Amino acid sequence: MTATENQGTEAVTGVPFNLNGRAVHATDGELLIEACERNGVHIPRFCYHNRMKPVGMCRMCLVEVDTGRGPALQPSCMLPVTPDMQVETESEVTKQAQDGVLEFLLTNHPLDCPVCDKGGECPLQDNAYAFGPGESRFIEEKRHYEKPIPISDLVHLDRERCILCDRCTRFASEVAGDPLIHFIDRGSQTQVNTFPDHPFSSYFSGNTVQICPVGALTAAPYRFKARPWDLEAIESTSTVDATGARVVLQSSQDELVRILGLDSDAVNWSWLSDKDRFIHEANRSENRVTEPLARVDDGLQATRWGDATAKVATALQADASRIAVIGGARLSLESQYAWAKLAKGVIGTDNVDTQLADGLPAALALGLPRATIDEVCAPGGVIVLLGPDPKEELPSLSLRIRHAVIEDGATLIEITPRATSLSDLASVRLRATPGIVGQVLVAIANDQLSADVGGVAASDLQAAATLLRGERPLSVVFGRANLAESARYTADAIGAIRSIAPDASYLPALRRGNVNGALEMGLTPGFLPGGVRNSAEVGVEHWPTTPEFQGADTEGILRAAADGNIDTLILLGADPLGDVPDAVLSASAIENVSTVIAVDSFLTDSSSKADVVLPAAMFGEADGAFLNVEGRLSPLSAKVTSPGLARPDWMIAAEVSLAMGDDLGFGTLDELRQEMSAAVASLADVDWPGLSSADDGPVLRPHRNWDLEFGKPADAPPEPKSGLRLLVDRKLWDAGTMTAESPSLVGLAEPAVLRLSPSDAVGLNLVDASHVTVEQGDESYDLPFVVDESVAPRTAWLPIRLPGFDARKLLSSGGSVNSIQARIADGLTDDDAGDGGEPTAESEDTSDGGRQ
Amino acid sequence: MGYLEGFAVTLRKVAEGVTTRSYRGGKGGKSDIKAPKPERLHGRHVLNRYEDGMEKCIGCELCAGVCPANCIYVRGAENPPEDPQSPGERFGYVYEINYLRCIHCDLCVEACPTEAITETKLFEFSFTNRDDAVYTKDELLVDDDGLPQQLPWEDWRPGEDEHTSGWMRATSPSGKAAYEGVVGWSGELGYGVRNPEEGQSVELGTDQPGEESADG
Repeated sequence: MTATENQGTEAVTGVPFNLNGRAVHATDGELLIEACERNGVHIPRFCYHNRMKPVGMCRMCLVEVDTGRGPALQPSCMLPVTPDMQVETESEVTKQAQDGVLEFLLTNHPLDCPVCDKGGECPLQDNAYAFGPGESRFIEEKRHYEKPIPISDLVHLDRERCILCDRCTRFASEVAGDPLIHFIDRGSQTQVNTFPDHPFSSYFSGNTVQICPVGALTAAPYRFKARPWDLEAIESTSTVDATGARVVLQSSQDELVRILGLDSDAVNWSWLSDKDRFIHEANRSENRVTEPLARVDDGLQATRWGDATAKVATALQADASRIAVIGGARLSLESQYAWAKLAKGVIGTDNVDTQLADGLPAALALGLPRATIDEVCAPGGVIVLLGPDPKEELPSLSLRIRHAVIEDGATLIEITPRATSLSDLASVRLRATPGIVGQVLVAIANDQLSADVGGVAASDLQAAATLLRGERPLSVVFGRANLAESARYTADAIGAIRSIAPDASYLPALRRGNVNGALEMGLTPGFLPGGVRNSAEVGVEHWPTTPEFQGADTEGILRAAADGNIDTLILLGADPLGDVPDAVLSASAIENVSTVIAVDSFLTDSSSKADVVLPAAMFGEADGAFLNVEGRLSPLSAKVTSPGLARPDWMIAAEVSLAMGDDLGFGTLDELRQEMSAAVASLADVDWPGLSSADDGPVLRPHRNWDLEFGKPADAPPEPKSGLRLLVDRKLWDAGTMTAESPSLVGLAEPAVLRLSPSDAVGLNLVDASHVTVEQGDESYDLPFVVDESVAPRTAWLPIRLPGFDARKLLSSGGSVNSIQARIADGLTDDDAGDGGEPTAESEDTSDGGRQ
Repeated sequence: MGYLEGFAVTLRKVAEGVTTRSYRGGKGGKSDIKAPKPERLHGRHVLNRYEDGMEKCIGCELCAGVCPANCIYVRGAENPPEDPQSPGERFGYVYEINYLRCIHCDLCVEACPTEAITETKLFEFSFTNRDDAVYTKDELLVDDDGLPQQLPWEDWRPGEDEHTSGWMRATSPSGKAAYEGVVGWSGELGYGVRNPEEGQSVELGTDQPGEESADG
């Protein structure tokens, strides 16, 4: 925020103007309201928001301005400072204007402040006290509307309280790109409302509650939960996705009740996704694991920490190569280091992977030159989106990219297999069919631009090539766009981009929480903390040993486990049964491991099958650090007590180590951090205590520009003989544990829908059909379908896992590209469409006809 | 002069006689009659109801916020539409006062926007354990006649449950003399609509009744 910048040096060169008789300076083009704020004069406002365009709706910021034509009242939020402007913010005329505007706003505003959730932190209350008339002359009946109407599952609208500042509607259309709320009617009946039958079902709807200057928009999950004066607050970072959106955690009576976005200039600009904002409900879930559990006969029974860690220690006596660790993206950086040290430095196994076979090779995330979000979104840059829809996976990042393209003249090249939320903004859209994306970029790299490649038109290739080879700074946001194809195609594509544009910088769009921290701390095979490649010559300070073999990634671990080659599997908040794309493999692996140890907060599909479950503290319950998508270190703060006997993950690692007869060497977080600074080169200069007070946090810039070996690009996969290639990706609201444990969020997942191209709809003769049966092997689902022009021909686009639907069952293991069969659903006609979306549990038709 | 002046004060006071009033408490005492209490004595709280039986408390937590002893714990909740506890959207779901902490300063009564919480004149309630010391909403709420509930350990005397209602509030919300004689409060269970308090010094200025109070 400009308000926190220093006031002297920089502004002297700007635009001089006179503020209440004082000579001050504004920057070029700065709005008067901002310039005054920066010079220590706060002008009251309702509609103006520093992250949105000004509209001048509320007139609260009227000040007396003289530009040489005599003093006049002007809205300071609409007025760029001009040289030698005379501004009076405290004159009688200004005060009278403020007084009048407030009296006018209060004519229809109900005085139900004691009931209102905003009461106590309400800008209208504050401004009425500070600038208002004190007494009202209005004795007539106020305007009445039906008290709160739910405009979405998460947001209630009380139109009586609305002062028509246009903040929420501007946010919805300008920032979020979901113009689902708007002003309707005229005059004193003007009101904000949704369109008929279209709820305000934006992923970002909670932001409107935060920016509403009155209590017109309130959040259903926070409704009447607490009052502002009994909230305690602490700054932290959201662990919902890897963007690392900065948040303020607010608790009352030792319960997290609200999360607000923190205006971090470098990261999320105060915007949060609803998942970031409301996920804290999971902390209070009744299903939390609150004490250590151990398997007795066929059930899990509560036990003591000492007994549980003793069991774990016994299980870890096995040969190091027969021990594996999966997960760790939920953990804080410190906990990740502690577990990495336990696994690699004490036990000595390299079978450690934080990604659940749904990410990308660790070397790509660690070794490519990293861009910050600010660099990606820099004005005039070129952004390549090579991956999934950021709105579904990294929603706060998608808002930054959206702003960069719309407002700052960045150019977007979209290389995705289907339309994303940013498609309308993209200058070039390359829609590669599954398995072809590498081929497409190799063609550009080799200047083979005259012919279509894998369904991508030659003209699009040429347009992309021009931008990729252009002079403008290029940054690549890359991730796993399709969970039903091998990650190597994405790697091939990055290899091609490296040869096209050697100076490009990269932002790895891996979704899962602190996954970047986990990779940096060595929770991935072949690496030690700090991105050091493991080898015989390399050691880590304070570590007794390092792994003596090259370990396997999650898929390899699961394969080894299924073959009976893993004795002990530790799950660090990971749920392979729920998340690994190959569900059959993970089931067989969990089945064949002799001891499964889960460090988790909930009994997930996997941890409920564990032999020992160690209860871990969740987000908001333990201090630590978070490494976000750009390598920025920001604090994770404890605000509430973890329930029962749950502990921070690093403490669990230390306990387990003690039970094994080793000592990890740290007993407090400070000791752990000191050791990390000593052992990990990239953390050597981190000011740990200063982390929580730093504005944006330091960016770790290890300047790795590894000469990555991409190898020969994989050939295009063969066309499936029959059926459709699968395109499977994630939705924000899915069947994930955290969402499922948050009562307000659990119902937000939409029913599964199959999307396919118009030509396939015709080819499958779906004109009159309502449902399609998709099947692979013995699994099948009857799904409603949508014809989507962005989907390539012979491709079926499905969400991976929603309540009641699991596309993983349609994936066959081993193939580099998956395909399914589709046909009109039997016995389902348009009449049955009403209960659509409920997939059948079993296929009625088990005939083998037409399968692969 | 000097020190003799001090002795003179002492002697003068000795001659005036004892002013300490006799207070004989306890039901088993020789005399069970107690000295009259000041009209606005701050005693044990009650939560009032409207004439239709609805609770006045809306769970706004202003009392808890203002309490200097931090002895009030309130949680609001959404009024069930089919069985509303109070008028409006919100009601006091939890209401507890810890009398081990309460200093009877009456700030909660002043803060209350709905005149839900007021104080009786009862100050003799000798609970014998900590649980009893924390009065819950069930205990604080007036009964079906609008009178305070009398708990086993409380020593209620006639008259102590009078004047417990919104009547205790100042005559006008803004304290202006112009409101003398104007009813500015709602009817209350057990009492109906109280007459306004009289006898404020009248400095009739520009303010006229009815200018600001919609329910006046």
